[in-house]
Amino acid sequence: MSQSNTPGVPDVDAMDVDRMVENEREDPESVLAEADHSTDLGLAMAEDAKRVGRGELSSEQFWAKYDEAARAEFGEAYEVTPNPAVDSDDQTIDEAAAESLSCSVGSMDSVAAELDESEAVEASTAAADVDGDSDDPTYGMVIDLQKCVGCDSCTVACKAENRTPPGVSYNVVMEEEHGEFPNVSRTNIPRPCMQCTNPPCVQVCPVSATYKMDNGVVNIDYERCIGCRYCMIACPYGARYFDFGESYDDEITEADEITSPEYGIDRHEEGRVEPVGNVRKCHFCHHRLNRGEEPACVETCVGDARNAGDLDDPESDVAQMADSDRAFQLKEEGGTDPNVYYLK
Amino acid sequence: MATETDTGRLEFDTDFGFTSDRIRYGWYGLLAVLLLVGAYAVYLRITQGMASTNLTSTTPWGAWVAFYIYFVGLSAGAFLVSTLSNVFGMEGMEKVDRDALFAAAISMAVALLFVWIDLGRMDRMYHPFIWRQITSPLMWEVHAYVAYIAVLVTELYFAMRVDLARLAARVGGWRGTLYRALTLGRTDTGERARERDETWLKRVGILGIPLAIFLVHGGTGVLFAVAKARPYWNSGLFPIIFVVSAIVSGAALVMGLYVLRSKVLGGDLDRSLLDRLAKLTAAFVLVDLAFFLIDMLIALNSLHPHDVETWLLILTGEMAWSFWLVMAGLGWAVPLALLSKRSWRRTPALMLLAALSVVIGIVGVRFNIVVPPLIVPVMEGLPAGEYFPSLVEWTTSAGIVAVGLVLYTLGVELLPLEPLGDDK
Ligand code: SF4
Ligand code: SF4
Ligand code: SF4
Repeated sequence: MSQSNTPGVPDVDAMDVDRMVENEREDPESVLAEADHSTDLGLAMAEDAKRVGRGELSSEQFWAKYDEAARAEFGEAYEVTPNPAVDSDDQTIDEAAAESLSCSVGSMDSVAAELDESEAVEASTAAADVDGDSDDPTYGMVIDLQKCVGCDSCTVACKAENRTPPGVSYNVVMEEEHGEFPNVSRTNIPRPCMQCTNPPCVQVCPVSATYKMDNGVVNIDYERCIGCRYCMIACPYGARYFDFGESYDDEITEADEITSPEYGIDRHEEGRVEPVGNVRKCHFCHHRLNRGEEPACVETCVGDARNAGDLDDPESDVAQMADSDRAFQLKEEGGTDPNVYYLK
Repeated sequence: MATETDTGRLEFDTDFGFTSDRIRYGWYGLLAVLLLVGAYAVYLRITQGMASTNLTSTTPWGAWVAFYIYFVGLSAGAFLVSTLSNVFGMEGMEKVDRDALFAAAISMAVALLFVWIDLGRMDRMYHPFIWRQITSPLMWEVHAYVAYIAVLVTELYFAMRVDLARLAARVGGWRGTLYRALTLGRTDTGERARERDETWLKRVGILGIPLAIFLVHGGTGVLFAVAKARPYWNSGLFPIIFVVSAIVSGAALVMGLYVLRSKVLGGDLDRSLLDRLAKLTAAFVLVDLAFFLIDMLIALNSLHPHDVETWLLILTGEMAWSFWLVMAGLGWAVPLALLSKRSWRRTPALMLLAALSVVIGIVGVRFNIVVPPLIVPVMEGLPAGEYFPSLVEWTTSAGIVAVGLVLYTLGVELLPLEPLGDDK
C-alpha cells in the first residue's frame, strides 16, 4: 500500500526523509574545526568508519590504515583508550576499561553477560513450567488504583489479544461514583480473573475442566468443558463468561480470521473447534507469559497502573507492591486469596 | 386386602387403560402437539446453540435449571411417599405405592433431560463419568442420580413382579411377551416368592431413603448452598428446604394422580386414603412455609447486602408476581385453604385442584430459587442481569414435560401400577 493512501500521513517518500535527515545533520567540517585535533584526519576517519559500517571495509583494514596517524595525532590519550576493535574479539571493552572511562552503563561485556544471565533465568523458569517443580513462579498482578484513569484500554487490549467474541470480556473496569455533585469522586476497579489461590470455580467443576496450574494461573480445558456453567455460579468476581457463539463478523469483515493462541494452542490453525458452548475467562495471557512477555493489558495500560510478575520472587516489583500497606484484595473475607492485588 | 377394592376389579382386570376412547385420543393428541412443538424447539436449540436462550453471562442459569430441580424434587418427594407404604407399612398406602414409584422414575428421567439440554456442550454429557472432580457437588449429583434411578427401577420391579407374572400367564400377544420379559424370568407367584419380593422391596427402599433425602434432593440443595458467591443460597437451611418442598410437591403429585386415576381410568376412590394424602400434603406445606420464613428472617437479619438485595428483588422486584401469585398463592395459600376442612379433604375434585395448585406453585418456588440471585450482580459495578425465558426455552420445556407425560401415560395404560385384585 502506498503511503499516500494512509490518512493523516504526509505524502513523502524515503528519499525525502533521508534529505530531511541530511539537512538536520551538523556539518562535520565545522564541528571538527572547533576541536584541537586535525580536521582532515577526523573527516577521513569518519568517512571510512561509515564504510566499515556498510561492510565495505573491515575494521582490521581500517585500523591498519589509521593506527599510525592516530597515534601521532592523539599521543598518550590514544595509548590508554581501549580500542574494542583491536583489544577484544567481540568488539567490546572490559569492565576495568569501562570503569576508567566512567561509562555508567557498564562495559558491553558486562551488559551482554547480564543479558545472558537473565535469559538463562527465564529459560530455567520456562523449563520449570514444563516439569512443574517447586521453583514455579506464581504469576500475580498488581493494579494501582491511584494510577488507573478508567480508560478501559486494558479491556480493549485484552479483546484484541485474545480475540474474544461479543459478550465475552476477560477484563472489565468497574466504575463507582462516590459523593454528590459537585463533590464527586470516582473509583475505577479493573477486574481480570483473580487467579484465586483457592478458586471456587475449580472446586465445583464436575469434570475438572477448570484447574489450577503450578504457576498459579487457573486454566479452562476447552476440550473437556461441558458448559454446565456451575463455575460461573461459583465465581465471586463475575470473572467468567459463557461463549454463546456470537461473532463480530457482521460488523468487521473477516473478524474471525485472526485467532488467539489461548493457553498456547491456536485452535484455528490446529483445526480444533472454537470454544463455543464453553466458559471462558482471563488466563493472564498465558501464551504471552510462556513467551516471556507481559499480559496484553499490562503492556497497554496507559497509566502504567497494571503490573504483572512473579509473586514468589521477593525481589520482583509485584511481590514488593503486593506487600505494601496500600495493597488489598477483592472480597478478602471470602478466603479465595486472589493473586490479583490492588493498591489503594 | 385387595378384595376390598372395587368390585368391578375383583376378578382382576387385565385392561387398565383409559375407560373412554375420547379422552384417550384427546390426551394423546394434545401430547403429540406438544411433542412436535418441542421437537422443533429442540432443533432450534441445537442449531443455534445457547444463543437461543435468554441466558447471559450474568444470569447463566434459568428455566431449564429451575425445571431440573423441580423434577428432581418431584421425584424425590414421590419416592418418599412410596416408602410410607413399602418401608413404614402405613395402612392403605400400598394403593399408591407403585404409581408413586413410577412417577418418581419418570420425573427423574425428565429432570435428566433438562440437565442435558442445559449443557453448553450437549455432546459431552458423558464427561462427568470419565473425568471427575471430587470437590464438585455436581459431580456427586450425577452419580447419585444414576444410583437413584437404579433404586427406583429395582423397587418398581419388586413391587410389580408378582402382578406382572400373573398378567403374563393371563394375557397373550405382545403384551404377554412384554410382561414375561419384565418379570426377568421370575414367574413364581406363590406366597413365599411374594414375601421375598416384599422383603427386598423394603430393603431397597431403606437404601433409597437416605439416597433420596441426602444425596439426590438434599444434594441438589447442596449444589446451590455451596456457592458462597451467592449468599442467598449459601445457607445450611437451604438443602433442608429443598427436601421439604420436594416432599410437598411429591405428596401433592401422588394425591393428584390418585384422583385422576380413579376419574379417568375408572375404579373407586378410597376417601380415607385421600384424606390421609391431603393431611400429609398440608403438613408439609406448613413445614415448608415455616422453614422459608426462618430462612428469610436469617437472611434479612444478616444485613448482607447481596442477600438483602436478592430478597427485596423477590418480594418487590419486577418478577414479584411469581413470588406472590405463584409461590405464595398457588404453593401455600390456595392448598392450605382447600386442605383445611375435613369434608373438603374428602372431595376428590377439590383435592385435585389443591394438588394441581401445589404442583404449579412449586414451579414458582424453583424459579425463585434459581433466578433472583443471578440477577443481583456479585460485585458493585458489574451489570445486573435481566431474565425471562425465551420462547425456545419455554417450548423445549413443554416438549420435555410432554415426553415425561407420554411415558407416564403409556405406563399407566400397560403396567399394573395399581395392585391387581385377587384371583377368584
Ligand atoms: S476469579 Fe473467579 S474465575 Fe478467576 S480463579 Fe477466582 S473464582 Fe475462578
Ligand atoms: S462450564 Fe465447563 S469449566 Fe465450568 S464448571 Fe462446567 S464443565 Fe467446568
Ligand atoms: S491478563 Fe491477558 S487475558 Fe487477562 S485481562 Fe489481561 S489481557 Fe486479558
